[in-house]
Amino acid sequence: MSEAKTSEPLFSKKNVALIKNPLNKINPVTIQVLGICSALAVTVQMDNAIVMSVAVMAVLVLGNLIVSLMRNMIPGKIRIIVQLVIVAGLVIIVDQVLKAYVYDVSKKLSVFVGLIITNCIIMGRLEAFALGNKPWASILDGVGNGFGYGLVLVIVAFFKELFGSGALTIPGFEKFEIFGNATDMTGLYSMGYMDNGLMLLPPSSLFIVGIYIWVQKYRNPDLIES
Amino acid sequence: MEYINIFIKSAFIDNMIFTFFFGMCSYLAVSKTVKTAVGLGSAVIFVLVVTTPLNYLLETLVLQEGALSWLGDDYATMDLSFLSFIMFIAVIASIVQLVEMLVEKFSPALYGALGIFLPLIAVNCAILGAALFMQQKQFANIGEATIYGLGSGFGWFIAIVLIAAIREKIKYSHIPAPVRGVGMAFILTGLMGLAFLGFLGFEL
Amino acid sequence: MAINRDSNVYTIVFATIMVIVVGGILAFLSMSLKPMQQANVTNEKMQNILQSIGIEETDGVTRQEAGAKFNEFVKRRVTIDFGGNIVSDKTAAYTEADRADKLDAFNINLRKEYSRFVKPIMNQHKGDAAAIEAALKASKDVHFPIFVCESNGETFYVLSASGKGLWDDIWGYIGVKADATTINGTVFDHKGETPGLGSKITEDWFQNQFIDKSIVEGEAFSPIEVLKPGKEKNNHQVDGISGATFTGVGVDEMLERNMSVYYNFFKTNKEF
Repeated sequence: MSEAKTSEPLFSKKNVALIKNPLNKINPVTIQVLGICSALAVTVQMDNAIVMSVAVMAVLVLGNLIVSLMRNMIPGKIRIIVQLVIVAGLVIIVDQVLKAYVYDVSKKLSVFVGLIITNCIIMGRLEAFALGNKPWASILDGVGNGFGYGLVLVIVAFFKELFGSGALTIPGFEKFEIFGNATDMTGLYSMGYMDNGLMLLPPSSLFIVGIYIWVQKYRNPDLIES
Repeated sequence: MEYINIFIKSAFIDNMIFTFFFGMCSYLAVSKTVKTAVGLGSAVIFVLVVTTPLNYLLETLVLQEGALSWLGDDYATMDLSFLSFIMFIAVIASIVQLVEMLVEKFSPALYGALGIFLPLIAVNCAILGAALFMQQKQFANIGEATIYGLGSGFGWFIAIVLIAAIREKIKYSHIPAPVRGVGMAFILTGLMGLAFLGFLGFEL
Repeated sequence: MAINRDSNVYTIVFATIMVIVVGGILAFLSMSLKPMQQANVTNEKMQNILQSIGIEETDGVTRQEAGAKFNEFVKRRVTIDFGGNIVSDKTAAYTEADRADKLDAFNINLRKEYSRFVKPIMNQHKGDAAAIEAALKASKDVHFPIFVCESNGETFYVLSASGKGLWDDIWGYIGVKADATTINGTVFDHKGETPGLGSKITEDWFQNQFIDKSIVEGEAFSPIEVLKPGKEKNNHQVDGISGATFTGVGVDEMLERNMSVYYNFFKTNKEF
């Protein structure tokens, strides 16, 4: 590389912004409207949402790193296919390793594996960022966007599961039965509370994301579309 | 009869947008006017109708366990299914490239309108989603797989055209500023999804 | 840089190298991890079968233990066809070598058989029960596994069922007592039922309802019915899951279709 090496600190202002901005101002899901498919499909339970976020972040960081390292080698004409192959290859590797070593997680993830490949966030970041930036910045960008994606997923899943099943599931913990147990009629259920079945159905995720965007743009008026 | 059932099921009940949220990214981004929506919707139908049977052949003749037995007994136990993601996406990406070239040649106006979204059909989850569902559903023959592709594409088409029509009208309504645009599109899609839930369990 | 990245030669060379490298890595990984993956799948199936017997010794058996315990409890593996003819009958312990035997009861893939062979037959002769039965009887591809289990001198049979829920496949293992009609335990699983609704068929409260229910009334076959929750239930009925009507219908249909085959088999083979 011809450019002079600048001794930029690892967490310079610019680099921190790479992680912070995707959480709010350029959130990949609510503002850039990318990666919606999986964001909405896996949010019925918290644990699915968390597992999916971690998987996407892992693939995003690795994919960003690899593409960034290869950015001067990839032929322009077939770059989309090259990116797809890298992502698909990574996803297959992750899937195969999980299936062999952590079978329970892989069972949870099996449905979503295909969704990771076509997650527009990954392709979008590879195309828009990693192809033109250095590896370290690309890794940070991957982490930032992974968090931004995970944040929306977890918030949507929180409301869906809490009001749909009256409980919260977090990987590694027992199920938290916040509202009591519906079959044994304990907690709120003994007072006649009933779960909201709509929350478990697909359309409710759309409503929650819609309201999320509403709140987010209300607090950041400069994001409002004209 | 079976064909009609598969078509109705894939177009209305298992609608790519309303029940699986597949292809939401381009659905939200290109649904501002009916004209572009029709263009992208047709492109998706076309790509699905071509890629689903191609992927079906790939699945039954190459990838499935024992699929290679036509090569001879030595290959009868080969299981290449771990390659299915990468093979499906490769087929899809090349077909999309082809469509892109055709559209560019024959309809520059449409090409200009669809802009960045044509190459993105490759990562439109609806296309790969259809391929993976096709693999899962284990259709009996290539005809069923084609109809499945057609139905899924049609379901996607009506979804994007409907939302585009609503979004064109809604421009003149007074909605709170923060939900304008994408936020409202989400809520509208949710309401349409509720309506589509009414098809659940429907069979001829 | 000297190399022209837009030249066709470079593109083709790059694509070729990429395909070889990626293909090589994936093939190597898949080959080397395959035994572990297969062991996981096998152990899970063993775990499900053991749990569905419904006895204390195998209650809550973990996947790691299942491989060792399976041969301790399952003494005989039998495969029958739709007409009730025995096509495979093994009493030796299940070992790695049995994996290649497609007719071994443990290797019968009910989900695959259902979607590949049973469903097409049912669609073809829709509404004509006699024709469906004749076609199923004639089919060489439809099998029903029976696992004969023994514990403390008592005999149990584990039977299997597979069908369709709202979205995708559902399947289950049903443990029955020595009379082959009283259910002693069940395990259900699904591929893609709605989480929080249909997916509740995997929960204990749903599965435990089946215990001590009977599939026979007097002398006649009487399938287990899944009702709307909260109704009065008799000896052949269980509560469904509210909000998951179609999954319940699926369980209902799958149990009726599969259990009737087993019922007829045990009725004609009393000495089994």
